Amino acid sequence: MASAAQQHEAIDYRHLVQDGRLHGSLYTSDAIYADEMEKIYHRGWAFVAHDSEIPNPGDFVTRKVGTQSLIALRDKGGECRVFYNRCPHRASALCHTASGNKPRISCPYHGWTFALDGRLIGVPDEEAYPAAFNRADAGLQPVARMDSYGGFLFLNLVPNGISLKDHLGHATDLIDGLLGLSPTGKIRLPAGWMKHKLRSNWKMVVENQVDGYHAHMVHGSLIKANRTFATVRDRKPTSPTRVVDYGKGHTDIDHPSDYRAAGDRLFRWTGGIDPDRLPNYVNAMTEAYGAEDGRRRLIEGPPHSMLFPNLSLAEMNIMVIEPESPSSSVQYTTPVFLDGADELNARTLRRCEGAMGPAGFLIADDAEIGELTQMGVANLEPEWVILSRGMETEEIRENGVRTAGLMDETSQRGFWRHYREVMSA
Amino acid sequence: MTTMTATLTSSDFAEAVRQFLFHEAKLQDEHRYDEWETLWAAEDTLYWVPIREDADPMREVSYIYDNRARLSSRVRQLNTGLRHAQAPQSKLRRLISNIEIRDEGGEIAVESNFILIESRRVHMTLWGGRTKHRLVREGDSFRIKAKTVLLVNSEEPIGNLAFLV
Repeated sequence: MASAAQQHEAIDYRHLVQDGRLHGSLYTSDAIYADEMEKIYHRGWAFVAHDSEIPNPGDFVTRKVGTQSLIALRDKGGECRVFYNRCPHRASALCHTASGNKPRISCPYHGWTFALDGRLIGVPDEEAYPAAFNRADAGLQPVARMDSYGGFLFLNLVPNGISLKDHLGHATDLIDGLLGLSPTGKIRLPAGWMKHKLRSNWKMVVENQVDGYHAHMVHGSLIKANRTFATVRDRKPTSPTRVVDYGKGHTDIDHPSDYRAAGDRLFRWTGGIDPDRLPNYVNAMTEAYGAEDGRRRLIEGPPHSMLFPNLSLAEMNIMVIEPESPSSSVQYTTPVFLDGADELNARTLRRCEGAMGPAGFLIADDAEIGELTQMGVANLEPEWVILSRGMETEEIRENGVRTAGLMDETSQRGFWRHYREVMSA
Repeated sequence: MTTMTATLTSSDFAEAVRQFLFHEAKLQDEHRYDEWETLWAAEDTLYWVPIREDADPMREVSYIYDNRARLSSRVRQLNTGLRHAQAPQSKLRRLISNIEIRDEGGEIAVESNFILIESRRVHMTLWGGRTKHRLVREGDSFRIKAKTVLLVNSEEPIGNLAFLV
């Protein structure tokens, strides 16, 4: 709980986050960082894992959300659960590998043992505890709320507040867009995660994910060295691609409009694979969705989205942002495997490695620019970061969704508008 | 496994392999990208940095999984001078040690440990790991058919790896 003194000096987010500019301290302040962990990651919904990462009973992954270490697992009944990674007895961390499979969870300290549904099932020398000791009060602590959409598991560490459905809002369309590239409507994330240490604030990573303005500068070396791999799109300001602010902090670069405008060729979003090389996948899509709609999906491809606060549907990759300190983060990346598209999945894996992660042709350079930005923003002057590109030419649709040109900063402003609301609460 | 005999020939051979590794290390440390690329065989090569020991690269993502074409692409990107992650270039020096050489007739399997110091701006980063080379003879030297680099911290978050490891 914040002390009276802290409350008295409450941070004025309405001043720090303005419509066309941001205060530099948002990226450097320890107090703001701590406040974000509480208000965004602990009291709000955040992505924790995908259910395909833990397909079998006993499968678990350990994850950090905000400041909290958590275990996401599948119990014997097939249900996904998320517990705090802490023994209810004397607090030892229970799982200390990134993933694994266990029939039950045992504490390495005194041997207390828990079933996968969290029940305490074993206490060495239990008779020495007072008569009032009750196993039912000493099970694994589940997070207050967990919910899922499309296999993506989200959690919320407080019992009250908006539902996941309300949190996602229009962003379910983006998840649907990705899942809809599978003939069965399912994705899998079985390939493990690249883990990339970044010397930048987590919000810079968020902003960069949906920044359509930087490609020629930051990725110029790749465009020059390998145009095909760069999935060269029309990157000009006149591109039909729009940046989109879906509200609630969820944003997107709408590449499908580019692919639609470029004609009816399939698979531009894969770097231009000849459809004849993926006959089973194309047929399965036609059978699942009909010739016309199946074809539309394969023309348009996946979303390029940032879901508030930590999940990016980065075309055929999933990227998760883990804050570590005001000036450092970890970025996790894994390829998206589409159920029923093995022919494509093998290629998706290799493309993920080419583009993403610490050695990737794209992301290593984004990481470097993030580091330079963090270095720069540590300077006290000028106080403000300018974020006004395209502010006067945004279009607002009936449902409140805002769009603007590919290079406009509407997507970043969408993130910050929601940030300001959450942080001012 | 062919046991190495203590003949002059095998000793010369082992020394030639060691010198090849040291030469490769120097080219990498000094960002001599084109010269490094010429150490590779012309086709069917693999440059692999897995995310964990015993990973299956057909099912699991790797930090690097370059076939010959992608290796060339990596070198081309570095050669543009616009690769921000290596502009400025890291200052690098690595030690190669614990070298084990197994002559398998057609190919030579070499394993070695490395410690690599990277200095870039204010940061000094320590890298280390086990490298497995598969070499083929070419004239009086060798060409790399495959190189696997297992970082000791491959399962933990790592910083930019845009230099040649």
